[in-house]
Amino acid sequence: MNIELRIPDPDGFYAALLAAHEGRSEAQSADLNARLVLLLANQCADQAVLLACISAAAEEEHSTSPHPA
Amino acid sequence: MEENFAFAPAYELPSWPFVPPPELASGQVVRHPLVIVGAGPSGLTLACDLAQRGVRAVLLDEDDTVGVRGASSRGICYAQKSLEIFERLGIFERIAAKGITWSFGRTFSGEEEVYNFNLQAASVSRQPPFINLQQFYIEWFLVERILELGLTDVRWKSRVTRVEPIADGVRLEVETPAGRYTIEADRLIDATGANSAIRTGLGIEAHASRSTDRWCISDVRFRKPLPTERWTWVDAPFNEGRGVWQHLMADGVWRIDYQMPEDCDTAYISRPEVAGARLREQLGPGVEFEFVWIGPYGYRDHLLERFRHGRVFFIGDAAHVVSPFGARGGNSGIQDAANLGWKLALVARGQAGDALLDSYDAERQPAARENLQVTSRSARFLAPRSPAEHTLRRAVVALAARFPFARALVNTGRMSVANDYPAAPQLPSGGRTVQNLPLREADGRETTLMQLLAEDTRCIGLWFAPTAEAARAALDATAALPLRLLAVGGTGHGLPALQPDERLAAHVGAGEPGSFVLVRPDAYRARVLAQATPEAIAEAVRTALALDPAP
Repeated sequence: MNIELRIPDPDGFYAALLAAHEGRSEAQSADLNARLVLLLANQCADQAVLLACISAAAEEEHSTSPHPA
Repeated sequence: MEENFAFAPAYELPSWPFVPPPELASGQVVRHPLVIVGAGPSGLTLACDLAQRGVRAVLLDEDDTVGVRGASSRGICYAQKSLEIFERLGIFERIAAKGITWSFGRTFSGEEEVYNFNLQAASVSRQPPFINLQQFYIEWFLVERILELGLTDVRWKSRVTRVEPIADGVRLEVETPAGRYTIEADRLIDATGANSAIRTGLGIEAHASRSTDRWCISDVRFRKPLPTERWTWVDAPFNEGRGVWQHLMADGVWRIDYQMPEDCDTAYISRPEVAGARLREQLGPGVEFEFVWIGPYGYRDHLLERFRHGRVFFIGDAAHVVSPFGARGGNSGIQDAANLGWKLALVARGQAGDALLDSYDAERQPAARENLQVTSRSARFLAPRSPAEHTLRRAVVALAARFPFARALVNTGRMSVANDYPAAPQLPSGGRTVQNLPLREADGRETTLMQLLAEDTRCIGLWFAPTAEAARAALDATAALPLRLLAVGGTGHGLPALQPDERLAAHVGAGEPGSFVLVRPDAYRARVLAQATPEAIAEAVRTALALDPAP
């Protein structure tokens, strides 16, 4: 899993992502994110990297949770 | 106006007479080498496989007919490997004549087709990828074949009430309409199914779990020309957005399976008028239909940690149960039986070591574990457990309509395959099925791998263009081993030969002059030798059969 920046225009990417979510309900945003995850996963095409990304994403949620259980 | 829904006349299934066994009159405890309990698909396949190999067995069953509760719904899809086994056992032609051959599947979401597959593309076998047939027909054909072979002591109406391991075997108590008796077995095979009382009686943990997903089966006959393909809906508009399965079986009977709400009233949803209204919604007005069978079901799974416990072997549902998606239940039981049959035959003859019987567990337990994993993933796709799972599935289905990559994620069941076996002492590089390839003998006569394997119980050694000297030495080195050595191509080697065949070479993963492939009696590839010597061939056979290395 790459942890150094590889996105050529990070701010531009982030702005495009926000723009895609504009005007959507929470449920519609969740649907969009899910479709995006699947599309990006297929671009990545590396099983080990995909599993590492899933782990990293899941860890982040636990470590930043405002309500530690 | 409410419709009236008719039921077809019930199937008339065969029954066989209970014949009081000699033990009842004599009171003597007779010892039998092999006792199989349970005449379902796996127990019958094992009895038939053994009989085909000339091995006697006692087969006990508590019923006196085929099917369960009459012609009720059970397994319907028989996979290529199972069909190849049935070909070897001599009942494939009957199955093919009665059943529905298919290889194409389509998956729909709403009105849209989102995924399809053609299993024929990967096949080089004489047998088709699948035949659909009501399970009781398979059992019926097996019983008739077993009776024809005449080596199995089939005892109907014989319920095993107690099993007790003893020093060198197993003691069983059997209850019959004419009284109880006790027998002993050198080896006992439990094929009594998911609720095995033998397994429970021996205190063996099955690690069961139960799904909350609910389905209702409707077996129904109607006149509406539909393709003989496997159709599945992830979310059918005519079933309130839930899953539907549609498959044709013999006698023009369709198996239509409707996913129901988890909290449904199972008695209500399977009432004829309720099931009929669902079917009317699907078929549209004006299509006449009659029911053959309606029934609700929830699925469950279990998996034994070990399939061999000393002298007791567990096969089929007694050993493993998986959810029904992909037809991996019945097929797996049939393949358990074919895995065990030749091993029992060779060990009984002293032509293989007892450790070969351990390989039954080493091969079929991982196969069942794999089937459990595969079917559990399908089940989870079909019954999402949280809002997030619903969101992800919605994304898969939405993308699948537009982009090919996402179609592979649509999971309405991954069809049963002949599982690969892991590397083990008898399989140094693991095992892989060899399909029933059409072949030609050197003189041009047609044959198949199954025909070659149907004679006696021997491994087949396919040796590509061996030299005469090596061939002579190999015949000497393997004379005492159950091996049929065949040359593929080449001349002057003096071995029985098959014509050179690129498809065979590609399929078995050899073909260079001097290369060698060892095929087991269950049509699994046990070994590939890039450059075979007579000693290496003998060693390969001894390894595959758990025999000590040559002195």
